[in-house]
Amino acid sequence: MIEIKDLHKSYKMGSNSLHVLKGINFSVEEGELVAIMGSSGSGKSTLLNILGMLDGSDSGEYYLDGVPIKDLSEKKAAQYRNKFLGFVFQSFNLINYKSALENVALPLYYQKVGRRERQDKALNYLDRVGLKEWATHLPSELSGGQKQRVAIARAMAAEPKVLLADEPTGALDSKTSYEVMDLIQKINDDGNTILVVTHEKDIAHMCKRIVHLRDGVIVEDTKIEQVRAQEYV
Amino acid sequence: MFDRDIWQEIFNTIKKNKLRTFLTGFSVGWAIFILVMLLASVNGMQNGFYSQFNDDATNSIIIRPGTTSEAYAGFEAGRRVQFKNEDIEFIEKSFPEDFVEISGRYYANAVARYKAETGTYSVQAVHPDHQIIEKTIVISGRFINEADHVNKAKVAVIGRKVAEDLFDKEDPIGQFAEFNGLPFKVIGVFIDEGDDNAERRIYAPISTYQRIYGNTNDINVILLTYNPNYDLTKALEFSDKLETIMKRRHKVAPEDQAGIGVWNYAEAFDDISSFTSVLKAIGIGVGFLILIAGIVGIGNIMVFTIKERTKEIGIRKALGARPNQIVNLVLLESIFITALSGFIGLLFAWGILAIFGPMFNTPAFTNPNVSASTVITATIVLIIAGVLAGLIPALKASNVKPIVALSDK
Repeated sequence: MIEIKDLHKSYKMGSNSLHVLKGINFSVEEGELVAIMGSSGSGKSTLLNILGMLDGSDSGEYYLDGVPIKDLSEKKAAQYRNKFLGFVFQSFNLINYKSALENVALPLYYQKVGRRERQDKALNYLDRVGLKEWATHLPSELSGGQKQRVAIARAMAAEPKVLLADEPTGALDSKTSYEVMDLIQKINDDGNTILVVTHEKDIAHMCKRIVHLRDGVIVEDTKIEQVRAQEYV
Repeated sequence: MFDRDIWQEIFNTIKKNKLRTFLTGFSVGWAIFILVMLLASVNGMQNGFYSQFNDDATNSIIIRPGTTSEAYAGFEAGRRVQFKNEDIEFIEKSFPEDFVEISGRYYANAVARYKAETGTYSVQAVHPDHQIIEKTIVISGRFINEADHVNKAKVAVIGRKVAEDLFDKEDPIGQFAEFNGLPFKVIGVFIDEGDDNAERRIYAPISTYQRIYGNTNDINVILLTYNPNYDLTKALEFSDKLETIMKRRHKVAPEDQAGIGVWNYAEAFDDISSFTSVLKAIGIGVGFLILIAGIVGIGNIMVFTIKERTKEIGIRKALGARPNQIVNLVLLESIFITALSGFIGLLFAWGILAIFGPMFNTPAFTNPNVSASTVITATIVLIIAGVLAGLIPALKASNVKPIVALSDK
C-alpha cells in the first residue's frame, strides 16, 4: 500500500540546514495498523506529513497504492489527498461552526457527492462511531473523545486507502484514549490500513507493528502482539 | 455557486464579524449612493436644459435672411436678402420628404384697442403650421386655420397677457379689437410655458398682414420642422442642404453667415449633450474614486478573514479542497458583501430620487433621476468591484500550505 525508498528531507533554518529525514526505507501492506514512535525531533511528524502529501520530500521515492507521489501540483495533491487519505489530528481540527454531521460530510463535498447522499453517508459513519444522536451538535458541545470520534468518522467518510493519525490520543485522558484506540482497532479489523504517530508506549502497543524513529532514521521495526483496547474500556 | 455549503460559510463569517462587515459594506454602499446621486444630478441638469427648449419643437429649423457681408455673383456686399412666399413654396417642393410643417413669419406692430383699453403689441403674422412648430398652446378658442389663411381673414390669436390687458375679465373670444384702426376678430387665446413675454404677442394670418401692408409677399423668417425620426447627423445634413440651396437661390456666398442664417435646434442639443456628457464623465470619475476606497475596505476585511481562517483553510485542503474551490469561496463572499451593500446604497439613492426628484423643477435642475441602464451598469460595476476586492485575499488563501495552517495551533 505504501512504499518508501531512501527518503530525505531537510529544512532550512536561516543559514543552517536541518536534516530531518536521513534515508527512510519503509513499506506498509494493506490492512496493517502501524505505530510510528519516536521522541520529539525524531522526524515522525515530518514523515507523516510527507506520507499525507502535506509536504514534499527532497529526494527518494514514495508510492501510494502504486501511484508515484512526486512533484504534485496543488490541485493534484488535493485530489490524491481526497481520494487516498484520511487524516486524524491531535487537536481534532473540526470546523467549529459546522455540526458534527456537516464536518463528516465535508470530504464528501470535495468529492462532489450530492447533498442527500453526503448526508446519508455521513450519518452512517457517525453511527459507526456511536455518535448518531449527536449529529446536529456543534463541536463545542462535544467532549474531547467525541470530537476525536467525529474526526475519525470524517476521515473514514471519504473511504480512503490509508488513515493517517497524528497523535490521535495526545489531547485525551487515558480512558478516552483507549476508547478512541478501540475505534481505530475496529476500523482496522474491517481491513483498513492505518498509520498512527504516537509517543505513548501503551497506545503503540495497541497497534500491530511499531516503527521507531530516531534522528531521522528507522532504528527498529517490529511486528508485535496487539493489545486490544477493549479490555481497558 | 448556488451551493448551500458555500453560502452557509459566507453567512457564518458575516455573522461572526457583523460590525466589521457592516462598516466595510457601508463604505461601498455610500460610494454607490454618491455615484448614483451624482449621475442623477447631471441628469437633472440635462432635463433642466432640455425643458428650456421644450416650448419649441425640438426638430425645428429657423431660416433668417440678413444683409450679405460678401460680394457674390455680381452683387455687392451689403445687399439685404428678402424672403418671399415663393421661398416657402420652393422649400416645399424641394424637400417633400424632409419637412413636416412649414410657416413663414411676418413681423409687425399693432396698437390694439378694445373699448377703452389700448396697448402696443408685436404681431407675428404666420401660417397655420406655426402653432405646431412653436408648440403654441391655445387655452380657449382656436389657432389660425387654413381657411383664415386662404380668405385673408382679419382674425387674431392673442396672448394671455394681451387678453388680460384688453379684455380684463371679459371673454375675448368672438370680440372685435382694433389693430391700428382695423377690426380683428379674436378667435383664440394662447399661453406660452417658456416665456411670459411671448404672451404679449398676437398671431394673425400672414396673408392678411401681407395684404394690409401693400400687397407684398414678403416674409421675415421661415420656420420649419423636419421628420422627427431623423437623428442628429441626418438633421444636420438636412439643415446644411437647406442652407446651401437657399443661399444659391438668393445669390449669397456659401460661407456668408450674415446673408442667410440657418439655425437648427439639433445643434443646440448637440452642444448641451456634449456639455452634460462631460459632467457625467466627471460624476462617474468621482464616483469611481470613492468606490475604490470602498473596494480597498472590502479587500481589507477579506484579508483579515483569511488570516483568521488560515487553519480552517488548511483543514479543508487536507480534506481535499482544491485551490480553486478556496478561491471561489473567498471571491463569492467578497462579491456578496460588495453587491449587497452596493444594492442597499443603490436602493437608498433610488428611493430618495423617487420621492424628492420630482420636487425639483427649476430651469437649471429638473427631476433628477437614474435610468435603468445606470442601475444595470452600477450592478455590473459592483460585481466587478467585488471580484477585485476579493482577488488578492483569495489568491492568498489558495496559497495557504496545509501543513503550515495545521501547525498553527
